[in-house]
Formats: sequence, C-alpha cells, structure tokens
Amino acid sequence: MSKSFVEESKQNFQHDLVFRTEDVPLKCNPPAAELEQTLHGLMQMNGYIIRSLEEIAGRGANAVTFRAGKKFGHEVAKYFQKKDDVEEALRELSYILYGQYSFEPWKPSDKDHYIVEEDGSTFIYLVFHDCIVRQTLRRIGQAQSGPLCQTLCGYVVGAIEEITGRRAKLEIVHTGPNACLKKLILK
Amino acid sequence: MIQIFVDENACNGCGLCVKDCPMKVFEMVSGVSVPRRPENCMGCLSCHEICPAQALEHRGVVPSRRMYISSKVCSMLNRVI
Repeated sequence: MSKSFVEESKQNFQHDLVFRTEDVPLKCNPPAAELEQTLHGLMQMNGYIIRSLEEIAGRGANAVTFRAGKKFGHEVAKYFQKKDDVEEALRELSYILYGQYSFEPWKPSDKDHYIVEEDGSTFIYLVFHDCIVRQTLRRIGQAQSGPLCQTLCGYVVGAIEEITGRRAKLEIVHTGPNACLKKLILK
Repeated sequence: MIQIFVDENACNGCGLCVKDCPMKVFEMVSGVSVPRRPENCMGCLSCHEICPAQALEHRGVVPSRRMYISSKVCSMLNRVI
C-alpha cells in the first residue's frame, strides 16, 4: 500500500544527525552545482517582486531599487581599499562585483582615451558582460532597463562612491541580450 | 576584434539593426544592411536578436554566462528535437 503524503514527508525529514553548537557548516550542502532549482526559484521570485513593485509604485520603483542597490554597494565596499585613481577604483570595483557582474572599460574607436575629464567631472563607458540582473530578467521574460537594472546602477554607484569618496552616477546607454553599455560619471 | 557578417540574400532591408545599434555600426546601402564600423561593436547582440531575417553573424563576441537556461527545459527540448 502506498504511503500518504504526510507519512512520506515525515520520513523525508527524519534524520539521526546530532548537531552541536561547535558544528559550523563550512560548505554548501548540497554542492553549489546542484543548486540550479534554488537559483532559478530565487531569480523568478526576485523578478516578480520587482514587477509587482513597478505595477504598484510606478516610476517610484526605480528610486526604491536604486536606493537598495546603493546601500548594498556602500555596505560591501566598506571593506575594500579606498582609491583616488579612477582606474584603480575600477579594479577594486571589479573585485567587489566578482562572480555577479563582469565589466570592461569601453570607448568608440575614434576616441583616444577611456577615462575622459570634462567640466570638473570624469566619465568612462563600461560594457557589462555577465550580469545577474539580465539573467533574472530573461528568466522571467521581462524588459531590460527597468527597476531591476536600477539595482545594479545603485550597487555600482554605492560601491564606487565608497571607494573614491566622490559622488557618482551610472547611466544606462544601451541594453542588449549579451552585454549592456553604461556611462559612469564621477563628480 | 568582433567581425560581423550579413547574409545579403537573407537581409530584408528593414533597417532595425541600423536603428537599434547605439554605436552606429550598420548603414543601409542599396537596401541592405552593411556593417560599416565593426570596430565599434561591443558585442551586445541586440541586432542579432532584433533581426527578423536572422541575417547576422558575429564572430569574436565574448559570451556572457547564461544562468537563466533551465537544464530541465533543455532536456525536454532535446527529447522533442
């Protein structure tokens, strides 16, 4: 006779492991490679939270997500080295974003320099290759450059502000399925 | 450097790639899209996705990680295909 769901569940969640306070888990269980369903569940949930936020808060959603990202950026970058040089600050930023986002400085072929000084501010174009925001949006079939992209903008702005001590802004120039172009402005 | 090839027989001259590219890589010449400035291509692949005729081919593009593809769906597709 087949077991009822309750009996099955009880059996699945029965374990004779003794867990002591000194038993600190040192690695993921199951291994990270087997966490695909978890990752996809998280991506979908995150995407739907943002979509609902946009439906309810309208344009205010962008400000909310940008601020959330910015706080996160400031918090994470606190523990990284402070740099005055823009190029070195970008190197630090790449360490912060490692595993989540990857980027490279970019310039049109007719320009001489990547880092441009203009009217007391500095700007540089960045091409973002790997991006968990883009991955999430594509997972649930949502358009790019919305509130979820503002999370990344806030994250980068918060991190770079913390590293350089200067006010920053990140503008989305173009979004694509494989890479996005953004303009980082430091004041 | 990224190389872009346009299948002239497939291109229907809609000009979507010309409009969409922020770096003005493409130009319309005699009703066909021509990659005039491929050195400015950053490999976003917007044109690739937007092209209704699938006439574009890019070589040397850095592929971003594709974590959104579900292996469960792929295995089902593989069975069908």
